Amino acid sequence: MFLELNQIKKSFGSGETKVEVLKGIDFSLEKGEFCVLLGPSGSGKSTLLNIIGGIDNADSGVISINGDSMADMKEKQLTMYRRKHLGYIFQRYNLIPNLTIRENIEVGSYLSDNPLDVDELMEILGISNHKNKYPNQLSGGQQQRTAIGRAIVKNPDILLCDEPTGALDSKTSLEILKLIEKINKTYQNTIVMVTHNDVIKDMADRIIKLKDGTIRKNYVNENKLSAEELDL
Amino acid sequence: MRNPLNKRLFRELKSDFGKYAVIFIMMILLISEGSGFLVAANSMLFAYKNAFVKYKTEDGNFRISKKLSKNEIELIEGNEKVPVNIYENFYYEIPAEDEKTYRVFKLRDEINGVSVIKGELPENSDEIAVDRMFADNNKLKIGDKLKIDNKEFKISALVALSDYSTMFQNNNDIMFDATNFSVALVHPDVFDDFHDEYLRYCYSWKYCAIPEEKINMHGFSYDGKEGEIPIITPKGRTISKKYEIELSEDLMKEIYDVVHMEEYTPQYMNQAIYFTGEDFGSDAIMIRLFVYIVVMIIAFVFGFMINNTIHKESESIGTLRASGYKKSEIISHYMMVPIFVTVTSALVGNILGYTVFKDINANLYYGSYSLPKFETLWNPEAFVETTIIPVALMMLITWNTLRKKMRLSPLDFIRHNLSKNKNKKALKLSYKIPFFTRFRLRVIFQNSRNYILLLFGVFFANFILVFGLVFPSAIQEYSDEVDDNMFCKYQYILEVPLEVLGSDSKVESMISYMKFQSGVETENENAEKFSSYSLLSTTPKIKEEQIMIYGINGDSKYIDLKLDKDDFVVSSSFADKHKLKIGDKVKLKEEYEDKNYEFVISDIYNYTGSLCVFMNQDYMNEIFVFGDDYFSGYFSDEALDDIDEKYVSSIIDYQGLTKVSRQLSVSMGGFMSVIQYISMFIFIILIYLLSKIIIERNAGNISMAKILGYSNQEVSSLYLHATTIVTIISIIVSIFASSILVKYAFEFALRSEMNGWFYINVTNKIKIKMFIMGIVSYVIVAGIEYIKIKKVSLEQALKNNE
Repeated sequence: MFLELNQIKKSFGSGETKVEVLKGIDFSLEKGEFCVLLGPSGSGKSTLLNIIGGIDNADSGVISINGDSMADMKEKQLTMYRRKHLGYIFQRYNLIPNLTIRENIEVGSYLSDNPLDVDELMEILGISNHKNKYPNQLSGGQQQRTAIGRAIVKNPDILLCDEPTGALDSKTSLEILKLIEKINKTYQNTIVMVTHNDVIKDMADRIIKLKDGTIRKNYVNENKLSAEELDL
Repeated sequence: MRNPLNKRLFRELKSDFGKYAVIFIMMILLISEGSGFLVAANSMLFAYKNAFVKYKTEDGNFRISKKLSKNEIELIEGNEKVPVNIYENFYYEIPAEDEKTYRVFKLRDEINGVSVIKGELPENSDEIAVDRMFADNNKLKIGDKLKIDNKEFKISALVALSDYSTMFQNNNDIMFDATNFSVALVHPDVFDDFHDEYLRYCYSWKYCAIPEEKINMHGFSYDGKEGEIPIITPKGRTISKKYEIELSEDLMKEIYDVVHMEEYTPQYMNQAIYFTGEDFGSDAIMIRLFVYIVVMIIAFVFGFMINNTIHKESESIGTLRASGYKKSEIISHYMMVPIFVTVTSALVGNILGYTVFKDINANLYYGSYSLPKFETLWNPEAFVETTIIPVALMMLITWNTLRKKMRLSPLDFIRHNLSKNKNKKALKLSYKIPFFTRFRLRVIFQNSRNYILLLFGVFFANFILVFGLVFPSAIQEYSDEVDDNMFCKYQYILEVPLEVLGSDSKVESMISYMKFQSGVETENENAEKFSSYSLLSTTPKIKEEQIMIYGINGDSKYIDLKLDKDDFVVSSSFADKHKLKIGDKVKLKEEYEDKNYEFVISDIYNYTGSLCVFMNQDYMNEIFVFGDDYFSGYFSDEALDDIDEKYVSSIIDYQGLTKVSRQLSVSMGGFMSVIQYISMFIFIILIYLLSKIIIERNAGNISMAKILGYSNQEVSSLYLHATTIVTIISIIVSIFASSILVKYAFEFALRSEMNGWFYINVTNKIKIKMFIMGIVSYVIVAGIEYIKIKKVSLEQALKNNE
């Protein structure tokens, strides 16, 4: 297995106010697999994504990527782990406002020894006409394309997407999903996408449903649709 | 109901305690110093001016070669044009050990009163009162023994004389010298026991019949003799300066009709009296300017901090506005913290100013001037200037920042669309430039306003620093240069008896001259005769001052000049100060007569010891009608022991020429060290605050970069190096700019306010020192900021997602 999670537990607060957000999560993904984490608010899906991404620590449990365990990693090692393996896409894009679109993608490309060609990638993303603009001069969809470009330019093993279409209208959302699908096919990155939009699950290879910190369902999507076919 | 938002005030202060503490300390120190300085200056200025009333300061004095007869006194006092009262103010000018000179008066009662700072005035013939500042500079205290003219005295009092608030030994001196020169008072019983050769017949006068319409007494009572008034009172002049000049010029003519004077010094020309009052004014302007500049810098820092907070709390502000909060309520809320910090620090600062800092500043003045005791006066102007104006400035700048931001709609806030100009094109940077360099340049562009303020702040700090560093160095350089530049070790200036020049009887004049000639002849072959004369400069916009004219031999062994008739060679100091070049016409005038001379400069001689002119001796004697064999001094590399001391007016040696530098070292040395620390403190705080603002503003981006996999070093190299680049550029630019400005400012002050000239050269050594001090300060801040960057959490970027 490429990505393996064993008994991941996480709680916030202490004593009476202690809330167990993740109560022992186990799952694994193959290389290139597209997984959707589905669940209502408070189900723990974003926390789980952050733990996979090494930006939050699990109280217990083990995560390993291609055999490299994340357990007991210090800050420096976690940085290297994110640098080597991960790409991140957020709902609010998180672009650096004072860098141009191209430079925002270069932020990702710098981290890799073998990055994708930035200009070529911008062509694929459909933003090459805007390369010298600042993020706030672009629409939400264009900004999210830039964020995707930044995440995948280093050709990460795993692409973590936290509600990537959460702030977009349905037409733009569809374009973004098509793009993610295309990237998955082209570069064979393992994708973990958090969403609460039930429709999106249909384009995933694997669907994991979370509720109250536990996995309620974990199954392979036998009836996988292309993004084009989604009815958002 | 109170605005519930205001409950955040203390939470906000607590949440960013470090930042506010730094600003708080800086403001307190600034306002304490500003308030303390102005209170001390105002109280001491009152005491200084009040001394004219309380101690009956003279309206002028003149010196003659012998005692006035009763008849002569009556003629002067009773002159019809300017009636005056004449007071004996004789003194002995006594050289003592270690190059010291004591000007000894007998205890005074009628005029030029004495403020006893410590001890009791002499009651016995073996007691002496000396100037308080001289005592301080020479670590003398009550009970110490002094040997003057082979008599031993015990110091019974440390005093301040109302006619010597500044220790100018001679009125034409460039600088006062309270280290080697002191006024002293002895009991009348012992006064006549000093050697006559030291006795100087000085008379003070007070005008006693000034027409009433010329006087404005400001309600002050004065208990002098009938008709007398103080010219200066705490509320200002009682007669205009113009009228005082008219009076003194008329009086001079009246006295000349009776007696020949060696010196004539009306009050308005007496540096020992007026210098202190003028210095108070210029210092106060500087300190006010200093307070305002620093307050404005802090206000702009606050402006940037508020901007950051608005960016951080944009959505909440939008929601509040959408819920019905008025713009004014939001503005007043965000103004609360800066106003609270300013008002609190102003109050604490004022308390410290009136207590601790007042004394610190008063001691600075006591280090330079011999002032009477003072009482602390409530100074409403200082309160306005150090409290009301800083608070108003802070309010204005922060209000303006907020007002501009509040023009945005609630929706803009909610959507975080805070940039006014969305269509502003991104500055194109070539993609050939390495990515990190481009990134840093973008950080610099993004924070250009912060960096401009940083540049201004660094410039301001360096401007202060260059003052602190250049003074000791310039003083040392001046002393070294004088040492290298002296054309002889001793210049003996002879005092030609007035009878020789001015006696109506030719026989008497001839006898006097023969006596003089035999008294000043020397066997020493080293000695070279010269003529000298003093005229006043008249260059427009440059302070009028005495220019010494030397008439020298055609083949002088001391001055490397071959002078023909008509040659007029100016010293390099004179040329530089008065911006003269070869071929220029120089107009000089007689000090006490309406007579002008015009010369054309034939050459410039490299001599920095004084502002002087060299002429052919024969030609000079001819022009000033001195006679063929006339001479008035000797150049010599050896001391001349065989000339009669009574004919020696002064000896110009290394000590004499470096009086300026010595006094500046004594009175400014400590202050200059303090200035260096102040500038470093301002420098560190400014860089700390501004780089902190930049990091806070980019906290989300920093966090995101970390999430993406950037290490702390890489993030620091992006965000901190941008500040490093700007700081280094700011340091370099400001070192050169402040060096030029300080040089210019100092030269301007010397030209317009002071006698003499010396070069301010901000040497490379100083520039390197400034650079190192700047870099060291920055490294300290960068270390703190690096820790801050390390502490930026990964959740910061995630918060934006919630």
